[in-house]
Amino acid sequence: MPTVVALDVSLSMTRPVTIGDNTEEFQRRHLAIHGINTLLDHFTVNCKLEFTSVVLFSYLWEQLVPFTRDVESIKTALTKLEEYNKTCFESVLAGISTLVVEEWGTATSMQVILITDGNMGVGPGSLKETLKKWKSIQAGEVSDEKCPLPFPFHAKLHVMCIANPNDPALSDVIPLYQQLIDLNNKGGEVYVPEGNLSFSSIQAMFQRLADSCYSPYYGLLRCGNLKCNVTLFPPPERYCKQHEFELVQKSICSTLDICGFLDLHDISSPPTLSRHLVLPAAYKADKLHREEKDETEKSKEEEEDSAADEGKVPSFTVLLHGSLKVEGMVAITKVGEDWFGMLYSWADSKKKSSLMLSLFEPGAEAVTWIGDIKNLAPISDFTENPYGEDDNRTPFPVRPLDKRSYAQSCVVWIKAVGLQADMQKVIRHAKKLPDKQQQFYKELNRIRKAALAFGFHELLDAMGAMLERECTMLPGTAHPDAALQLTHAATKLRSEMSTDPAQLIMPLRTNFTTDTDG
Amino acid sequence: MAQIGSHKTIIVLDHSPYFAHSSNQLFEYDVLSKIKTPGIIPAAPITKSLWTVCVETVMEYLRVVYDIFPIKKLVRVVTGSEVMNSWAQKDQNVTIVMNNLAVVGPPKEDEVEEYDVVQGLTKAIEVMCQPSDLQHTLRTSLTDEEAYVDNRGRIICLTNLKSDAQIRMLEGCVSDALNEHSSLAEETDNRLPINFCELVLIHVVPVGDVAKVSERAKHEVSPNLMSEVHVSQSGKFLYNKMIQLVMEHYNLASTTVTGIPMKEEQNASSSANYDVELLHPTETHQDLFNSGNAAEGLIVPSKEGLGINTVTLKWCTPKTNTVEIPPCTTAHRITPVDVNSRPSSCLTNFLLSGRAVMLEQPRKTGSKVISHMLASHGGEIFIHTIPVTRSILEDPPSISEGLGGRVTDYRIPDFREFMKENRLAPALPSMISEDRETPLERAKKHLERTSRCWPMVISETIIFNMASHIDPLPRLIVKEKLDEDDVLECKKAIYHVVGMESRNEPLPVTALGSRGKGPKREEQYRQMWSELETLVRLHANTSPLHQMILDCLLECKKPEDSKTSPKKGEKSVHKEEKMEVSEAEKSWKDIERYQKMTEREKQELNKGDYSEESGPTTKRMRSGSEEPLVRSGGGQNLLSLWTNRIKAVHSMQHVQFAGRAEGEGKAAVLYKQLQEKENEAEATDPPAASKR
Repeated sequence: MPTVVALDVSLSMTRPVTIGDNTEEFQRRHLAIHGINTLLDHFTVNCKLEFTSVVLFSYLWEQLVPFTRDVESIKTALTKLEEYNKTCFESVLAGISTLVVEEWGTATSMQVILITDGNMGVGPGSLKETLKKWKSIQAGEVSDEKCPLPFPFHAKLHVMCIANPNDPALSDVIPLYQQLIDLNNKGGEVYVPEGNLSFSSIQAMFQRLADSCYSPYYGLLRCGNLKCNVTLFPPPERYCKQHEFELVQKSICSTLDICGFLDLHDISSPPTLSRHLVLPAAYKADKLHREEKDETEKSKEEEEDSAADEGKVPSFTVLLHGSLKVEGMVAITKVGEDWFGMLYSWADSKKKSSLMLSLFEPGAEAVTWIGDIKNLAPISDFTENPYGEDDNRTPFPVRPLDKRSYAQSCVVWIKAVGLQADMQKVIRHAKKLPDKQQQFYKELNRIRKAALAFGFHELLDAMGAMLERECTMLPGTAHPDAALQLTHAATKLRSEMSTDPAQLIMPLRTNFTTDTDG
Repeated sequence: MAQIGSHKTIIVLDHSPYFAHSSNQLFEYDVLSKIKTPGIIPAAPITKSLWTVCVETVMEYLRVVYDIFPIKKLVRVVTGSEVMNSWAQKDQNVTIVMNNLAVVGPPKEDEVEEYDVVQGLTKAIEVMCQPSDLQHTLRTSLTDEEAYVDNRGRIICLTNLKSDAQIRMLEGCVSDALNEHSSLAEETDNRLPINFCELVLIHVVPVGDVAKVSERAKHEVSPNLMSEVHVSQSGKFLYNKMIQLVMEHYNLASTTVTGIPMKEEQNASSSANYDVELLHPTETHQDLFNSGNAAEGLIVPSKEGLGINTVTLKWCTPKTNTVEIPPCTTAHRITPVDVNSRPSSCLTNFLLSGRAVMLEQPRKTGSKVISHMLASHGGEIFIHTIPVTRSILEDPPSISEGLGGRVTDYRIPDFREFMKENRLAPALPSMISEDRETPLERAKKHLERTSRCWPMVISETIIFNMASHIDPLPRLIVKEKLDEDDVLECKKAIYHVVGMESRNEPLPVTALGSRGKGPKREEQYRQMWSELETLVRLHANTSPLHQMILDCLLECKKPEDSKTSPKKGEKSVHKEEKMEVSEAEKSWKDIERYQKMTEREKQELNKGDYSEESGPTTKRMRSGSEEPLVRSGGGQNLLSLWTNRIKAVHSMQHVQFAGRAEGEGKAAVLYKQLQEKENEAEATDPPAASKR
């Protein structure tokens, strides 16, 4: 989940803050930067792969640091800030929107963090006015302007107030911030420091944000009795979607249970909700575990030990990755109640490969061509290996019972050309009678059947006339049976019987029939 | 996901005499004679009746729905009081509907049927109260008394409306019928009340006629009924209207694949580029539509003239070896707009043959952006969305830097076999039953059984490195059920290993790679036995036959221990008290010590090992080559073969010294009584040291 930190650099952010007995004068901005650094430090420890960008805004906005994993470069950039005029949310939110869409498209989940001082501004461009305008746009009253919220991508919107919690102005502005978040409608919170403005209260506020939104996923990857602690990046999100009959809400389990394996070309390219790097995490998980107990110097020792041994202790993820890669297979993995995914080896453009988990849509029928996942059985249950004795067969794909229209000869006469093509086919066979007698009658009946279904009885007469004319045009060398069959077919088409869908037009039995049939 | 509420659709066809009128659209059907036989005057074009056009366009609507949503999106066709198909999955296809419509036949002009359409609409409401299979399953699975199954639907009615008053009358009829049938349904178990219904009235007039009623946007008739009125001329206008409606009702979008190279029908040597328009769910282009600005120029009006917009994507001629499977965010079924046209069938046949086609977004900058892929799976064609923007997964940390990344002797070939044996396949119908565990649960159990004893690296195991010796035991022991033959095979394997030990054959210990020799063979065998016991013991509870194998193993193992000399016996007793881990530790120490020895010491040790365990060696010449006989086993050459042979011949000429023949080692033991006193002291010493 890449993060956009939008920092208010309006003049009001330079207001001084007196912290305790300290004589040194600090500005709100310094506190904000301290808060950002808290967040960045959290990333360094818990989610090194997180991308962050810093945007500065006042009446205008600019991107201070493009999306990067280099936390230090952000910290350095934050030390050189200038101040500008007043706070204005409209341009910065629109700016963030463009920025993110250009960089990540609309499918990547984001976190947008607005850091401001709880000053709502006055007049046009103030938060109150802006919200009023946006609401009228959403209600369809104003159509010439666009509202930057909700963002076209999935993003939580957080507002961090660098303000004293007992500031009377805050009680007016917090509901407005909440309205911003509601407009975006993807979640998020307004954060206010607990206690008077100070480095520690700001730090605690940002830590709260970090804990609620950037907690890494730790889980257990299990393959029968083979196990490994893993972490996933990015952490999987909750699934919540309204389906036809129910609201489906699911969270990923802490145990990723491998159920069995499939060949990569059998699963082919299934649709996936999201992809996650699977990284072995024994060390960190242990650490967490230890934190739960009371941490002492002893654990520090162990930490050092484990850090040194990290590379040398065999890890199941490495064994699994290597094998999946060489064999070109995927591991079907249960990630939650009625929710599955697949583990496979994925190589990025630099030819470096990693173990990847792709999550399917919840439900056992997420990949139609492998069928119901719950009905996948171990091959040992079969009396005959479904993959063949020499591994030369595959039980996949699972074929649907019906063929799709493009895979069968369906009749479409919306355009004249469709009808013409079908008529020509009959005429072509007619010209080659009696050799093509079987095909001739098959096509004839196919057209007739469609004509009856469409209630297109006019066509039966027309086709009769066409066949009669064809009969008159037969060359002298033609087989005598040809003329007999054409006349027979034409007569039948125009008869009463022709409109009865229960009947078929059968070839005329002639003296030649025995010679020609078969 | 298509829009909510599209689970059930009922199409009502008006069978009143009005529809026997001509649609006024002329239709050429006789083209062949024009080209090839100039003398003949082609037959006059014919016209379809209004009924025919309605049926045809409805069939196209159905074709699109069934192609893209073969399950869970159900459509029924009603005309008059007759219903063409049921909600059951087997009835949800075009063929069934067509066959039944053929029986109904077209309306006749001279029939008098005044209230036909009302009859049809009432029937539609009645039919909507019937639960679909899915609704039935949901209802029966509900435990909560309060919960109810949502029952929404849409009625599309193709009719001819006489006036605005008639529209109000029809809306009223539907609303009344809805309330009436819903309250009836409340009382019965096999009917569902309708929560919400959408009525789409389509006023059809012959081509060129002016409609007497005007279109009306969606409006509320009653809290559970919305209505809208469309007006369309018959013929291709009605077709376009139905395509627009199916796209709206099922949230579809259109993609035109451009630049498909195709051989000309007449002239096979030249090829021209063709376009094919496809329909599919909108999600396929979600990213494109959401991002707004990037879509400019990509979205153009439909080339088929459908009155809709389509996204143009360029065909990329597929490379023959596309092994790489791109990660896809979505995969949705498609259907060609003009299914039987030559370009469409060319494209679909190409895809059905198993090839995949990448689709490229034309960009002004000229950079190549592959955003979609067309591929078939199991006879159905899907459009896959490939993410085009930057990925947050870029530049992942290297595996070698991570946990376990520097271990080099993973049993990868063995795990590949393990994966193959744990592959999945769709269960046969006979394997699925309600009261049994699901096939997938069985698969997990199989995984659990086969992984009970599965060391990850080569250096952690002996038994899995000697597959040729203990086969088929590791394969059979994990089985859920064994038969007598299997037990026999396993016992044979155990006896084979016993034999190996008695012949003192080397074990494949690779702990030190190719250079060193690893722990002493006696040690190795003990380790091997304990490993084998662990393996078999882990499965002993599976069945009595499994237990038999364990019993056999324990029997075979025991005599080995008791047979050993007092010296060895003491040692093993001493060892058995320790845990397995310390045993391994001990062997590691041995190895380390061994490595520290000089070449000369090693040789002596090896010789010592050999002689000690295999009893007296045959006497041989002390002079000549330093190389012991065993050494030649590794790198044989002609010289070594020859010298070995000569040595063998020579050795036969000697008579063994009686003292050596009786003794245990290479050297005959003299002053045995003294040796025995020292035994105790030696036993605690590491064996290698004692030999020095």
